[in-house]
Amino acid sequence: MDELSTVRTSIQYIVVKLGEERFGINISYVDNIVRMQRMTRVPEVAPYIKGVINLRGEVVPVMSTRIKMGLEPDVETNATRIIILKFEQQGFIGFIVDAVNEVVTLDTESIEKVADQKQDGAFVQGVGKTNDGLISILDLNALINEQV
Amino acid sequence: MDVSQYLDIFLDEAGEHLQSLSDQIMILEQEPENEDTINEIFRAAHSLKGMAGTMGYKNMQNLTHDMENVFSEVRNGNIKIKSDMIDVLFQCLDALEAYTNNIRESSDEGSETNENLIKALNDILNGGSAGSDEGSAEAKPKEEKKAPEAAAASGDEPWKHIKLGDTETTVLGEALKQGKTPYGLTVKVQESCILKAARAFLVFKAVEELGEVIISDPSTQDIEDEKFEFEFSLITISDKPLDQIISAASAVSEIESVTGGVLDLDNTEIESEEDEEEAAPTAEASESTEAPAEAPKTNAPAPASAAPAKADKKPVGKPVVNRTVRVDIEKLDVLMNLVSELIIAKNSLVAASGSTEDRINSAITDQVEYLESVTTSLHESVMKVRMVPIESVVSKFPRMIRDLSKKLGKKMELYMSGEDTELDRTVVDEIGDPLMHLLRNSADHGLESAEIRKERGKPEVGSIFLDAYQEGNNVIIEVRDDGNGIDTEAVKAKAIERGVITPEQGDNMSEKEIIDLLFNAGFSTAKVVSDVSGRGVGLDVVKSKIESLSGEVEVKSRLGEGSTWTIRLPLTLAIIQALMVTVGGEKYAISLGSIQTIENISRSSIKLVENKEVIHLRGTVIPLIDLHDVLDAPRLDEEDPEHIIVVIVKKGDKLAGLVVDELIGQQEVVIKSLGKYINRCKVISGATILGDGEVALILDANVLI
Repeated sequence: MDELSTVRTSIQYIVVKLGEERFGINISYVDNIVRMQRMTRVPEVAPYIKGVINLRGEVVPVMSTRIKMGLEPDVETNATRIIILKFEQQGFIGFIVDAVNEVVTLDTESIEKVADQKQDGAFVQGVGKTNDGLISILDLNALINEQV
Repeated sequence: MDVSQYLDIFLDEAGEHLQSLSDQIMILEQEPENEDTINEIFRAAHSLKGMAGTMGYKNMQNLTHDMENVFSEVRNGNIKIKSDMIDVLFQCLDALEAYTNNIRESSDEGSETNENLIKALNDILNGGSAGSDEGSAEAKPKEEKKAPEAAAASGDEPWKHIKLGDTETTVLGEALKQGKTPYGLTVKVQESCILKAARAFLVFKAVEELGEVIISDPSTQDIEDEKFEFEFSLITISDKPLDQIISAASAVSEIESVTGGVLDLDNTEIESEEDEEEAAPTAEASESTEAPAEAPKTNAPAPASAAPAKADKKPVGKPVVNRTVRVDIEKLDVLMNLVSELIIAKNSLVAASGSTEDRINSAITDQVEYLESVTTSLHESVMKVRMVPIESVVSKFPRMIRDLSKKLGKKMELYMSGEDTELDRTVVDEIGDPLMHLLRNSADHGLESAEIRKERGKPEVGSIFLDAYQEGNNVIIEVRDDGNGIDTEAVKAKAIERGVITPEQGDNMSEKEIIDLLFNAGFSTAKVVSDVSGRGVGLDVVKSKIESLSGEVEVKSRLGEGSTWTIRLPLTLAIIQALMVTVGGEKYAISLGSIQTIENISRSSIKLVENKEVIHLRGTVIPLIDLHDVLDAPRLDEEDPEHIIVVIVKKGDKLAGLVVDELIGQQEVVIKSLGKYINRCKVISGATILGDGEVALILDANVLI
């Protein structure tokens, strides 16, 4: 038993909502979660870049996760949040989500890889199962990749 | 004690000496008889040799030793300076530089012995005059003779004043019983010596190989910290004869003299309680007798403390005493960042105090204004700390031009001015390559060969000028030559041939536009590719390098008369004075440095030229750029139907009018990067955080023009 448990790894995910679907974001990338705030629009950038915000004196670009994923544009509500992720290469990037629900711990085993990466699941790495239902694990690198 | 701690000093000093050697040899080439120069070269070569020896860099020491020999002969008038000799000397400098580079990278000089150079130097020596060998051979024994002579003449030796404590006396007593002899030594270091502590260390090491050092004056700790003038004394016990110890100690380079004698225990000041009061004045007295002889300039009252006078540590030959501190550039970056944060905080205070209408707050407003002026000066001071003269970069150019002149077979002369112009350290580090490229370009493409110059009625020797000066918030560096200038027809033909432009495009291009083609990637007009310039990578690299430093390059050229390359660089990169404007309800900052004027223009005076909007202002036609279009910003409904606000910006000679909605005012802004993720936007050079925490984008007017 002991040996088994050392092999099995579990990762914590922050569960966010986009529409009715629940998505998981690997918590190790998350730097901060902030409320929606005034954004400064930047000209000549991709439509999913909503602008830049001031995060503790740093200028951080914010993207609309919805537009990037080809969903309906954001409707700002009281629950709307910006999740600030930190990437080694690109630094801080903010992602707008409809709501932040909870933190879950998933065993790597309980995440099923998505078979077809070509479809609209291009930004989803896999699907995790919890008691409350399914969580799509976001492929963060695909999200910040310019090519897609 | 470890020599490696001197590595940084060694590298710095070696760099300085090499530069000075290079400068002086250049002078020597012009004025072969200049004695000052010869002496200076001799001194620099000698110091280098000594330093290399101290650090244990044998190859470097050997090479400099031979160079020194050559100059010693030149100084004595036995050898005349010849052109091929200068060449050899420059090759030696290159070799020395290679050594220092190796040392900088791996703290090892490498195994290259440069025997061919040493041989060349020896050939010069032998070819100079038959008597030269005797001369140097004579000099040697003389030096060695000096030591025993001095020893014999030992009247009142400083080592006799060393105070012995109880422990030392016991140790000495023990040693005597074992049949060893106690000796006292006084070592005098040459006044030109730079690494005194390292020398002293080597003396100690040499002595300790033969015996045991009991005590020294000043203490070993003080000697390590260089807390001594040019002299120190020590007492050692050894079973070897005195001569051997003295010669071992004087074998260390840059040691002027070593004197010593057998310690007579009875006559030595033994520090015991009743003697203590007497001993102190004696020490003081010996110090004061030394003081007038050693350093007549230092008339500071000798403190009663045992520590020797610390004044005037600078080696001779550098009479200007610079009091400087070495600081890691990263620490300065941190400081600069903190100042930036402070300015942001100050801006929020300004914004907050401006929004309240209470009269009671006037005291706060006063203080905020005060804070504003303090932070501005603080910023300026920090900036100045980071500034270094461009001299460190441009000083290698005369040598480069000399080499180019030989290589290209053209006669040319480099004239430099404004070497003391200061720029941010990070900029200075980057500017060397672009400048070098422009100079090579002038030398290779710009200047004509002597025959053609003669035909054209120009002086045979071509001139290249490098001028640097400050202009407002910018530093201008100009590279100018009196050569052929840029042949726009040739450029155009080449561009068409390379497919950079179509022939139709070429017909419609202005001269300026054609010249700008030179900055295109993969463009080289040199008919023959030489190893000096013309590999097709070049001017575009120069341009992108300068632009990455937020600067710009411009060319002016007249066919047959020469060209001028102008590099314009901002003094600082982090904080700028900016004009805040609104466009479509959004706030933008425009660097004050690029703004010429602000105009209120009536709409009726806008004219159309080639379907572009222009205005006629004081005799110049200025194209209008509507920022709403550029920034894709919404147009306001309540636009003034009569007038528009135009910010006139300049880039070199070019002007453009930026149409904005409203002016907010001047503000000091801290430039923040937009991050790597958003880099597609060319017109935005960065962002800044306003007093209310909002982010405003900084417009790069240079891109728009």
